[in-house]
Amino acid sequence: MSGPGPGHWGAFSTREEESRKRTTPDRVLMERVYGYAERHKRSLFLGIASIFLTSLTGLASPYMHELAIDKIIVPGDLSGFTWWIPIFVIITLANYVFQYVQTYQMRLVGENVVSDMRDDIMEKLQSISLRYFSEGEIGRIISRPINDANTVRIFLRVGLTSVLLDASSILGSFFMMYLLDYRLATLALVMLPVSLLLVWYLGKFSRAAYRKAAIVTAGLTARMQEDLAGIKVIQSLVIEKHAKEKFEKQQDDTVKANNRALLISSSYMPLIMSLRLIGTVAILWYGAELFKVAGVTIGILVAFTEYQFNYFMPLMDLMTMFDQYQSAMVAIERLFDLIDTKAEVVEAPVERRVELP
Amino acid sequence: MSAAKPLLDYVKALKSRKSFTESASALKRLLAYHKKYILYILLTVVLSIVRSFLFTLEPLYTSFIIDKVIIGGAYDLLLGFLAIILVSGVGVGLFSFAMAYVQGVMSQYIVRDIRSEYYSSLQEKSFSFYDSIAVGDLISRATMDLQGVDAFVRIWLGTIFNAIFLVASMFVILYSVSPTMTLIPLATMPLIFYFTTRLWVNTMPLFRNMQLILGKLSSYIQQNIIGMKTVRIFRREDDLVDGFKQVEQVYVDTAITAGKIQAEYMPIAGTLLSLGITLVYVYAALSTGSAGMAFTVGDIIMFARYMMRMSFPLRDLSMLLGTWMNASAGLERVLEVTNTQKTVEDSPGAEDLTVSEGRVQFENVTFGYSKKRPVLTEVSFTANPGEKIAILGATGSGKSSLIYLIPRFYDVDFGRILIDGIDVRKFKLSSLRRQVGVVLQDVFLFSGSIRDNIALGKPDASLEEVIEAAKTARIHDFAESLPGKYDTMVGERGVTLSGGQRQRVTIARALIANPRILIMDDSLSFVDARTEQEIQSAVEEATKSRTTFIIAQRLSTIKNADRIAVFDNGRVIEFGTHSELMRAKGTYKRIYETQFLGKAPENNDRKEGGE
Repeated sequence: MSGPGPGHWGAFSTREEESRKRTTPDRVLMERVYGYAERHKRSLFLGIASIFLTSLTGLASPYMHELAIDKIIVPGDLSGFTWWIPIFVIITLANYVFQYVQTYQMRLVGENVVSDMRDDIMEKLQSISLRYFSEGEIGRIISRPINDANTVRIFLRVGLTSVLLDASSILGSFFMMYLLDYRLATLALVMLPVSLLLVWYLGKFSRAAYRKAAIVTAGLTARMQEDLAGIKVIQSLVIEKHAKEKFEKQQDDTVKANNRALLISSSYMPLIMSLRLIGTVAILWYGAELFKVAGVTIGILVAFTEYQFNYFMPLMDLMTMFDQYQSAMVAIERLFDLIDTKAEVVEAPVERRVELP
Repeated sequence: MSAAKPLLDYVKALKSRKSFTESASALKRLLAYHKKYILYILLTVVLSIVRSFLFTLEPLYTSFIIDKVIIGGAYDLLLGFLAIILVSGVGVGLFSFAMAYVQGVMSQYIVRDIRSEYYSSLQEKSFSFYDSIAVGDLISRATMDLQGVDAFVRIWLGTIFNAIFLVASMFVILYSVSPTMTLIPLATMPLIFYFTTRLWVNTMPLFRNMQLILGKLSSYIQQNIIGMKTVRIFRREDDLVDGFKQVEQVYVDTAITAGKIQAEYMPIAGTLLSLGITLVYVYAALSTGSAGMAFTVGDIIMFARYMMRMSFPLRDLSMLLGTWMNASAGLERVLEVTNTQKTVEDSPGAEDLTVSEGRVQFENVTFGYSKKRPVLTEVSFTANPGEKIAILGATGSGKSSLIYLIPRFYDVDFGRILIDGIDVRKFKLSSLRRQVGVVLQDVFLFSGSIRDNIALGKPDASLEEVIEAAKTARIHDFAESLPGKYDTMVGERGVTLSGGQRQRVTIARALIANPRILIMDDSLSFVDARTEQEIQSAVEEATKSRTTFIIAQRLSTIKNADRIAVFDNGRVIEFGTHSELMRAKGTYKRIYETQFLGKAPENNDRKEGGE
């Protein structure tokens, strides 16, 4: 550490601060973000309402298939299509409209909230005492309105929507499944914890590998930065070969680290797919047995394998979202830290400024 | 005028579409990089074929279970079918894993190759290239732009192969079940592909623009925070925030436009698929009704599942097009640099020559960064072996350009420079530069120890040689005073050296190879008296018995020079010893009196600050 003394620089910017534990509870942070979102109440309301309606109409589709098979096709009662077709088409189109509204309105909210926060930070940066800028590390200050704000932006944009959408999809799927057949639904529920545990474990593994790869990659960038900043020295001393050798070594290290991370990340999706498949097989097996005993129809079986899709992928999605949520909270806290920093020399309001001749 | 004006112009000029023909040449180039990895490609093809086959089994056997086991009552078949589904599913997983890994590794290698080539080409660029481009920009080409290339290379083969093999095999199966009902997926799939392609092709460039704007905003803030003190003094804060807000608004608008396109197109694929599947249900049921059992329930499920599964590789394929737009733009930016013509390179027949005496002659040297505006015009003078020449002139008078022409950091436009009577262009660049020591204006140190930094000029130097050079450069005592002596780390993670200390390290670095000719761009004009003295003594020691050109800011250096060349507007207007020039009562005398002695001039017509 080159900086003097412990980090007393408020919201700024010593190295240890990056690893500092968060102190503000999530609830408080969320409330403050909501303070910004409130300015866009209409969009927010439309967006969230559409999210729930999207998942509701999405859930109806497997159920409609169940009805088509059990009530129309198997009994051969084709007149059923007179109500089935219009309802299905309406549900499908409604689903499209809700998705449209949801995506667009949530985007409006997300972008505007972050841009408002960024503006507040810029104004703050302008009014805060000069001394911070000589003491702090400039790069870290800059990362506030750009990188941190971007983290928040991505979370508000994709994360929040996904969380709501996924959660309602999962709950809705289970609700529908219990409605159709409690035995099969229980089977699906029982298999969940094992899958979740496996995925969580692999995710942890893969994040660690990626962090490592990211550090090595940052080293490569730093090497390049230095070599280019010093290119005139390198050329004047005729040590291009020497520099190139060092660069290539760093490149090889990067490739190695990335390949290791790749090994883990490449197994992530296939593993999830295999887990899902085990669920499908179990449902087909138990379902076929239940069909003998009666109570389960072909339509229900088909609907079940579809619902299984409807809750499994969102669940996996949520697990990755958890990480995004964590880093968004860290970023939000840092942004508010900066916004809350008291300016030491407060600017007089414009009308009271004395203009010097 | 707002400080953000140029930034705003840049941001507004960002293109949101680019033509595919434009990227065709980039694709050709990218393919060439794949040549070395043909085995990886073949492996990907094989894996993709097997995977596609396995991928078709699950829906097929699900329909068998429904038709044969559940409806047909053949329960003894159930376990066998389930086993096939399970094994094929795990197989798909394994093959997907292998494909992702093989392609990922290949992509790592290809990106490494491109980056190596890029780096090598950067090493060969002359100073004029670096004068015209920011290092940050060069770095972002190697990072952000190559990331885009990586994102494309690691998926493109698999995506294309999967789309071909999967879609083909599924259509074959569907056709064998019912040629007429196959018309339903045949109609919906192209539509799904069309709309998702529009989605990605329209949004990807916007995402890229957003990334570019963010990068620019970041440097805007950086400049304005670093320059914050000046801003405060001139009270331009509001102006700065306004500029920021304007650029930010472009960013937000772009993001919302992208959001709108996504909102419109993203749900279309699902909607079309859903409607297509409905058609299957209805069509199957209707034909069953009229002509007995034309379709089983299993057939319907199979059609529905295949349509769903077919849509995935198609959606991936259209996303690939979007990824390509990013990748080709990135690759073009990288290749643009790699392809830039070298302006300084070994002439045909260049040789390793030894400088024995160190006589340097400038003969009618004319040079300019752009042909129209020469920085140096017909400069002619000779430095005798061992002579120390001080170069004096206003900023922008061409001083630095002149001395950088000697080791060919730039090449003359007209005239020539001779060392011991030999044109510098007859030397191999490496042999020329090794014999011309350079102390640059920018006292740049690499991260590493003091020893590493001094030894840079001679990578195999012993500690004794390093100490020898350090003593000459008057940095030895300082190095010894550090806790780790010569192994003390400098730079960001080590001790911070003052400007004077850094300069002496760079002098030691230039001296260690014992060059016959030394050029020094001595920029440190404002230092305290003690440092001044130390630098002066280092310079005196370093320049002994070497032909030296020194751009001097300080009086002591100038007075101690053997001869002085006075520059104005790219021409040598006076050349001679201190006393000769004083006697001549020209520009030198005036500069000497105003700059160094602080006397007021009789008439001040000297140009300030170059142009």
